[in-house]
Amino acid sequence: MLIKQKIQVLLSVFLIAALLVACAPRAATESAAPTTAPDTSGAPPATESAVEGPTEAPAAETATLNILVEGGGHSLQQAIADKFEAETGNTVNFIEVPYQDVHDKLLAEIAAGGSSYDVATIDVIWIPEFAAAAEPLDDLFTDEVKNDLFPALVNDAQFEGRFVGMPTWANAEILFYQKSLFEDPDEQAAFKEEYGYDLKVPTNWQEFTDAAVFFTRDTDGDGNIDLYGTDVKGGVETEWLATVLQAGSPGVALDADGNVIIDNQAHVDALKFYTDLHCTYNVSPPNVNELDWNASQQLFFEGKLAMMRFWAHNYRFIPDDSVVKGNTGVAPMIAGPGGVGAIPGPWYNIIPSTAQNKELAKQFIQFAYENNALGLDAPLGLAARISAYDSYANKEGFEHFNPLIDTLNAPQTIGRPLVTTWNEITNDVLIPLVQQALTCQVPAEEVLADAKAQIEALK
Amino acid sequence: MERSSRTFVILLTIPAALFFLVFFTYPVLLLVYNSLFDVSLLALQNRKFVGLENYADILTSAQTIKLFSQTLQFTAITLGSEFILGFIAALTFNAIGRKSEVLRTMFLFPLMVAPIVAGLLWRFMLIDNFGILNHILTGLGLIQRTADIAWLSNPKIVLLSVALPDIWLTTCFVTLILYTGLQNIPGEIMEAARIDGANALQTFWSITVPLLRPVIAAVIILRGIDAARTFDSIWIMTGGGPMGRSEVLSLRIYLTMIRFGRFGDASALATVFLVVLLILCLIAFYTIWKPDISKR
Repeated sequence: MLIKQKIQVLLSVFLIAALLVACAPRAATESAAPTTAPDTSGAPPATESAVEGPTEAPAAETATLNILVEGGGHSLQQAIADKFEAETGNTVNFIEVPYQDVHDKLLAEIAAGGSSYDVATIDVIWIPEFAAAAEPLDDLFTDEVKNDLFPALVNDAQFEGRFVGMPTWANAEILFYQKSLFEDPDEQAAFKEEYGYDLKVPTNWQEFTDAAVFFTRDTDGDGNIDLYGTDVKGGVETEWLATVLQAGSPGVALDADGNVIIDNQAHVDALKFYTDLHCTYNVSPPNVNELDWNASQQLFFEGKLAMMRFWAHNYRFIPDDSVVKGNTGVAPMIAGPGGVGAIPGPWYNIIPSTAQNKELAKQFIQFAYENNALGLDAPLGLAARISAYDSYANKEGFEHFNPLIDTLNAPQTIGRPLVTTWNEITNDVLIPLVQQALTCQVPAEEVLADAKAQIEALK
Repeated sequence: MERSSRTFVILLTIPAALFFLVFFTYPVLLLVYNSLFDVSLLALQNRKFVGLENYADILTSAQTIKLFSQTLQFTAITLGSEFILGFIAALTFNAIGRKSEVLRTMFLFPLMVAPIVAGLLWRFMLIDNFGILNHILTGLGLIQRTADIAWLSNPKIVLLSVALPDIWLTTCFVTLILYTGLQNIPGEIMEAARIDGANALQTFWSITVPLLRPVIAAVIILRGIDAARTFDSIWIMTGGGPMGRSEVLSLRIYLTMIRFGRFGDASALATVFLVVLLILCLIAFYTIWKPDISKR
């Protein structure tokens, strides 16, 4: 009995001790606990230390700046960060995550009320969502700055009348093509005989369709098509949205006042052009609804596409062992009845309202703008400033810059609507809409009327 | 019970009870509480009480019916396939006896693969224009072109396609449980049946299945819940597409919460999902595990 009582006492003591440890104040355990979060325990920022006084930290003049980025953003800003560190003595710590995690992690951090991130480099589509939780950057946007940025980038940098993000780089879809096909005299002669005009790199919908039909063929005589004129992406919505702008629409899905215009004539024309490439002309690899950016670029790299509309940066990403390496030409995005148009794909540096080093963050953002051209030597090779692109436009290996500049400067290159529900509209309406239209079983007008009702319900 | 022993039992129960309170009861209550508000994840402090409005929206939405239907279909496909295949494998191993040891070990390998890895593997195998499966089928002459079966982009078969990794991963788990159950059936009962002249089918139907009933119930409940809340493999394979035809409730809850930041709506949907799962589990429990209770 005595032994039993002793065991009970021992167990009770053990349980109470365990509970006490579990319920101990967090601060007490934190000091010893390792953390996977970025190291923010260094000296406070120089600008804040003076205010907070000597009890907070020694009179430190340097700090660590934590920047949330995806892979591309990291490589583009590394040289800038190196220079910033050398000139200011501060440390820049990139927290690199996959694309979607930039959004999800930033959202979670802000929702939690504290942030490890002083700067976040985010996709333009997330600007409206995070605008209310981002520090204003109006004083950085002088006339000189605005004049050196593409118009669409300046528009997308602001939400509800205030600037919240500074463009770090800009991208847009341009036209990629296999040069050897377009430069072959036999192909040129055959094309002229069939279509009555010279074969050239397409500049509009009609030329694009003709060239796509012409090059779609069975090259080895096995009865299967192995070269397609182009691709039709059903896994993403952006390419169709670019077509909407080419058709002359004042915006995609919504106009500047937020009215739903997804059933206007330009949207109908664009959807018909987009789906006809697959449904009528069969110029794309089948199973279009599975074609997204990755699948399409893979097909082009394998030489299975004569032409591809794709983000400009891809020009520098053609693998050495690709059959189109050294054989790829680039041109501005094609035009529709409304002219050349594309969806710009810029990324922005923002300062979350929960950031610890806001002044230093702003200093870095300005520094990054001033040294924007440093990103052009990174593998992704993109920038946001017009002057940065101009300085590289005639450099070997950067042949895609002129088509990109032309496309970004086109009047019909317009950003996506700046509404907080854009993510939902894209996921629940636009992508399913494109996929449904690409089944070739429902008329464009009907698909777009349904989409209009759905978007209005989401608003 | 002696008083000191009762105290001892209570003390032993406290950690588990605390764990349950902190990690289950509290989050569930919080979930239900949040479901009564219109609240954005980016502005949690600006919450507006809307009562049962979020529930009304969910229960009257055509999308919810579609999501429940697809979740049910996905669960039925995975659970049905795993149960049939698992039962066949368990009976085979049981018939082979001790010689099946190596085979059983090998059979368990997929269980060690993370669902997200399995999703990626199957995505690469099924992807229409590059996938190895269609290349093999083309090589065998079963289809003409690699694009003839659109595993991941045909809305009619996509739910079946996204079920494949789950079936591949967990059939072995079902086999393991059922095999253990088969091992526990007393040999003398089977022997008696044989002496009485029962054939294999009669023995299986009249002895094996009734004696395995609790094990079958455990498999159906455990795997049913698990399949119904599948997220990672579907997310990595299709993201819920095309046209939302492979979207299940867990994906929608994630999207509503993280992508769209609608905290209240996501909480309401998660609560409804939880209640439905609970009801289905209770039905399975009372009809399969303890059918005698439901007959009283």
